[in-house]
Amino acid sequence: MNLSSPLAIDDTLPTELRDLLNSPDGPAFEQALDVMVRQREQRLFRALGQLARDLHDAVRRLGGELTQEGVPGIVADARQHLQDALEMSAQAAHRSLDFAERMRPQAESLTRNAGQVLEWTNGNDAAAVLAREAVAFAGSCRDGLADMVLAQSWQDLTGQRIKKVASFIGTVESSLLELVRLTGALAGSEAPASAVKVSSQEDADRLLSEFGF
Amino acid sequence: MKILVVDDFSTMRRIVRNLLVELGFSNPLIQEADDGENALVLLRSQPFDLVVTDWNMPNMTGIDLLRAIRAEDSLKGLPVLMVTAENNRDQIIAAAQAGVNGYIVKPFTAVTLKEKLTKIFERIAASGVSA
Repeated sequence: MNLSSPLAIDDTLPTELRDLLNSPDGPAFEQALDVMVRQREQRLFRALGQLARDLHDAVRRLGGELTQEGVPGIVADARQHLQDALEMSAQAAHRSLDFAERMRPQAESLTRNAGQVLEWTNGNDAAAVLAREAVAFAGSCRDGLADMVLAQSWQDLTGQRIKKVASFIGTVESSLLELVRLTGALAGSEAPASAVKVSSQEDADRLLSEFGF
Repeated sequence: MKILVVDDFSTMRRIVRNLLVELGFSNPLIQEADDGENALVLLRSQPFDLVVTDWNMPNMTGIDLLRAIRAEDSLKGLPVLMVTAENNRDQIIAAAQAGVNGYIVKPFTAVTLKEKLTKIFERIAASGVSA
């Protein structure tokens, strides 16, 4: 639909309008102009009406899908899933940290004991060889455990993102409820505060028809 | 040396504690708080030598904690090391302007933590201000 065709002032003007412009009859001119303006307004109203119907339909469809559980229910579930993921990942990370904290003193004690063995031996016998190996092994264990501890920071980094998503879901929830409330108002019925329940198409059609759509 | 570790994630507090112990700090002298508000309560109730704090936390963020520390006479000289996933330029500048002593971007290594801590204590020793 083209609502903004430029007003031509030459002979591309409709004959009706050209005649009118040349007419010396003032009241007839104004009356004819009013008719034309009204016709244009009708086209605009029809376009707006169509838009309102489409919007209403879209929200009604969305509402229909959501009413099965209700927006708050769906959102609460989504939040709970995220919270579960957060807690499970924290538990998993803590288990790894438990392990590291349990093993570190054992590695330290192995280093100490092997050191004592090295003091008692002449440094060349089998015990000394084994003790040196034990010291090296305990050292690499401690390094590995420290790396593993640090690697658990993935839980913090992913957890922060999960929290951001949870907060975003809250924003979507309030926007969705606001949209449903507004379209409920458009349809002339009071939208419920918490549950999604949009008015019927008949209600919307009746209201729109009152505005000449 | 008494150290306060501030982070809303218990895993991260434990990780920082582990690394500090690994670097030779005494485990029983390390305390924890889960946000800036609780950290301030602890800081006002007993003396600490260092605060290691996250940025993103509920109730009171790390940057607000830092500003609160610098605004309070009894705490303003306390060294604060930020350990955070926030790595955009504006936030690092904001932390510097608020008087942070060190800034570590997560994920980090034990070597980075050691370097920053060493630098903090060297500067404090050089300036002759006791923490």
